[in-house]
Amino acid sequence: MYIHQSSCISPQHTFGTIDLDTLVAPENNILKLREPKYEGIPLNILRRMGKAVRIGVGAALPLINIEKKLDGIIIGSANGGMEDCIKFLNQIIEYDEGRLTPTNFVQSTPNAIAAQIGLTTANTGYNITHVHRGLAFENAILDAMMMLAENVFSNYILGGVDEVSNYNYNLERLGNWHKKEKVTGTDLYDMHSNGSIAGEGSAMFIVNNENNGASAKVNAIKMLHTKDPAEVAAQLNLFIEENGQHNVWLAGENGDLRVQPFYDACELLLSENTSRLHFKHFTGEHPSTTALALWLACRFLETQKIPAHFFKSGFHKESIESVLIYNSGKGDQHSFVSLRT
Amino acid sequence: MEREEVKTELKLHIIKYLNLLEKTTADIIDDQPLFGDGLGLDSIDSIELVVLLEREYGIKINDPKDGRKIFTSIDTIVDYIIENRTK
Amino acid sequence: MSRVVVTGLGVISALGNSVASNHDALVLGSCGISSADFVKSKYSGTLFFGEVKIENEKLKNIFRISDTAVTRTSLLALHAASEAIAESKLSESQLSSYNTAFVCASTVGGMCHTDELYTDAKSESIASVYLSSYDCASMTLFLREWFGIKGVINTINTACSSSANAIMYGAQLIKNGFAKRAIVGGVDSLAKFTINGFNSLGILAPQNCRPFDKDRNGLNLGEGAGFMVLECEEDVKDKKVYASLSGYCNANDAFHPSSLSENGEGPFRAMSGALAKAKLSSSQIGFISTHGTGTENNDEVESRAMMRIFEKVPPFASAKSKIGHTLGASAAVEAVFSILALYHGELYPSLNFNIAIENTGLKPQTIFENASLSHVMSNSFGFGGNCASLIFSKA
Repeated sequence: MYIHQSSCISPQHTFGTIDLDTLVAPENNILKLREPKYEGIPLNILRRMGKAVRIGVGAALPLINIEKKLDGIIIGSANGGMEDCIKFLNQIIEYDEGRLTPTNFVQSTPNAIAAQIGLTTANTGYNITHVHRGLAFENAILDAMMMLAENVFSNYILGGVDEVSNYNYNLERLGNWHKKEKVTGTDLYDMHSNGSIAGEGSAMFIVNNENNGASAKVNAIKMLHTKDPAEVAAQLNLFIEENGQHNVWLAGENGDLRVQPFYDACELLLSENTSRLHFKHFTGEHPSTTALALWLACRFLETQKIPAHFFKSGFHKESIESVLIYNSGKGDQHSFVSLRT
Repeated sequence: MEREEVKTELKLHIIKYLNLLEKTTADIIDDQPLFGDGLGLDSIDSIELVVLLEREYGIKINDPKDGRKIFTSIDTIVDYIIENRTK
Repeated sequence: MSRVVVTGLGVISALGNSVASNHDALVLGSCGISSADFVKSKYSGTLFFGEVKIENEKLKNIFRISDTAVTRTSLLALHAASEAIAESKLSESQLSSYNTAFVCASTVGGMCHTDELYTDAKSESIASVYLSSYDCASMTLFLREWFGIKGVINTINTACSSSANAIMYGAQLIKNGFAKRAIVGGVDSLAKFTINGFNSLGILAPQNCRPFDKDRNGLNLGEGAGFMVLECEEDVKDKKVYASLSGYCNANDAFHPSSLSENGEGPFRAMSGALAKAKLSSSQIGFISTHGTGTENNDEVESRAMMRIFEKVPPFASAKSKIGHTLGASAAVEAVFSILALYHGELYPSLNFNIAIENTGLKPQTIFENASLSHVMSNSFGFGGNCASLIFSKA
C-alpha cells in the first residue's frame, strides 16, 4: 500500500507551514491542539462539529482537494467526540432526562468523523470507523490494505483521530496514566515514573496501489495483545526476519515506567545501524498516536531530515530509506508498522 | 417585555443554541425564512429550537412537526412566544 | 480461495437466551418488546424496549464471574460468543492460535453504566469499578482475555450497521490470509445515554414499533448480542455448516447525519454491491431481513431502494418489530436470524403491520411460512449514512 498525500493537525507545527524543529511544550502536562482556521468547511457545517470531527475533516480537506477520485474513507478513533459525549451526559443529568438537544449525541459517536468526511465530499463509497482503543488506527491500516488488495485501482482516505477532553482526561488521570511531575519536553523520558502526558491530533493519508510519486510504502503491519515483553520481542524478531532491519526505529515510548520494559526488550533486537527515535514528547499520549507517527515517518522519508529532538541518542548519518514504527501506550496493545521508500 | 426586546433576546438564544458561528443579532433578518435557503437550518435545528422554547420560555411543543410552522421566521417565533410564554 | 462459511451461531435477545429459544420464538411469531425492568431510566416504565430479561447478577452467575467491573455489554457478548464458539467446536489451541481473529462491534460499550460515567468524568479522586470499561473496545478486550484469543482483534463502531461491518472485516481477514477463522459479531445493552439520545431526536415510538406500516411513528430500542464463527470452507471437514457468506458490501449514503436520502442511495449501493460480490441477480434472493426500524424516514427510503433493485421485491420482514433496534448488535443478531431462516427454510413474520406505505405499497411477510430458500439478504443502515448489506447462501 502506498501513501501519497498526508496531512496532520496536532499540538505541533504540522499543518500549513510545517516546522518540526520547533517543539511546543505541554501545558499542565497536556499537549493541546494548534487548530488552523478551517477555510474549506462552511460555517453552517462547522458550527455543529465537535473537536474530533473538526480536526478529522480539517486534516482530510487539503487531501480531498488534491485527490478528487475517492473510493472510501477508513478511520480509526478510539474515543470519537468525547467533548460532545460529556456535554450530552451533562444534559441528561442536568435536565433529568427531559427534553434534550440532539447535536451533542449525534456528534459524540466515533463514526461521526468518517460520516462527516463522507458528507463533506459526498462520498458514497466504503465508509468505516475502527474503535479498538490503542489499535484503532492500526486496524484502519490493515483494512485499507485489504480493500486495496481487492480494489486495485481505488484511492482511500486513511486516518486516525483522537482528542483530549475534560472527560477522558479525567478518566485517564484517575487511572494513573498521567505524570504527576511537570513535563516540559524531552525530559518526559528521564523521569523514571509512572504516567505520561496527554495529547490529541489527527493525521490523514491518501493511500492506493500506485508507487509513482508515493512518499512511502506500507510494507507490513503486525498487531499484538499481550502484557509480556518477551512475547513482544519474539513477535518483533519474526517481523524483522520477514521485513528486514530498518534505518530508523520510531518508538512510542512515553516516559511511563510500566511500559518501558517493552521498548527496552525490542531495542535489543535492532541492528546497531538503526537510529533510535522517540516521538511522544512531540505528540503526547492518546490511542491514535501511531497515525501521527506514520505522518512523521512519511515526512522524514520525504525530506530526508530528522530534527535532533527526535533522537534518543546520536543522529542519522545515511539516507533514510526505511522506518519501523513500534507503539504501545499502556503495555497491553502493541503494533509494528514497516515503511519503505 | 417589549417586542423588540423579545426579538433581540430570541436571536441571542438562537445564536447560542445553534452555535451560529460569526453571526450577530444584526445578521439575522426578522422576516427571513429560517429553514432551507434563508438561514439554512435543518431538521436537527428544528428539534434544538423546540428545546430552546421549553428551556428559555417554558413553552412545550409536544409534536416536533408543529414546530416547523412556528419556526418559519423570527417574527413568527416572537409572535408565538409572546402569546404562549410561561417564563 | 474457497468460500467463507458459518460454522457456529450464538445469540441472546429479548426473544430468548440461545439460538434454540430465539428460533422457537421466531417460528411462533412472538414479540419480545415490553417496558424495561432493569435499565435505570425515567423512560423504563413509559416506553417500550426489547430488553434481555436477565439481570446482570444472573448473567454473571452463569459464567461464575465475581468481578464487579464487568459491564452488561461484556456479559451479553460473552453469552452469545460462548454459544457460537461451542457450536463450532473450536479447540483451545485453535482459539489461542495467532490465526484466530476476533472482531466485535458495539455503539454503547461500557456506557450502559451512564451514571457511573458521569461521576467518574468529574471525580477528583474516587473512581468507580467501570473506570477503564467505558469505551467500545472494552468488551472486545474482556472477551479476548476470557477466550485467550491471539490473532487480529478489532472493534468497529459505525452506529446501526456496526456488526455487519464486523462480519465483513472478519471475512476479509480470512480471504486475505490474515486469519484462518474469525469469531465475529456485535453487542449492545440498553443505556440511559442512548435512550435519551434517540429520544432527543424524536424517533422513539410511544408504543410497539410498526415497521413499514403507514402509521409507523418511531423505533423501540433493544439490546442483545449476536455472534458467528466464520471459517474457510476447506478447513471445515465434518463440521455443521449453516451457510456461506457469499456477498457483502458497505456504502455511504452521504446525505445527512441522522436521516437517509430520499431515493436511498446508500442502501441501493450497499445492496447492489452485495449482489455483485455474490455474483447473484436480484431475483435469486428469497428473503430480505430489512433494517426496518419503524421510523418514518427509514422504512419509506428502504422500501424505495428495494424497489429500485428488485423488480419483484421478495418476502421481507423486520426483526426489530420483535426485538427492537439493538443498535451495534442489530446487524449480527438479524444475520443470525437470517441464517436460521435459510437453514430451516422458513419465513418469519414481521409484526404490527396493517396498512402499506402509500408511496410504495410494499407489504412485509406477516405470517410464518415454510419456503425453499437458496439466498437471503440482511440489511443495516446506520447514522451518518453507513449502509451495509450481507448475503448468506445455502451451504
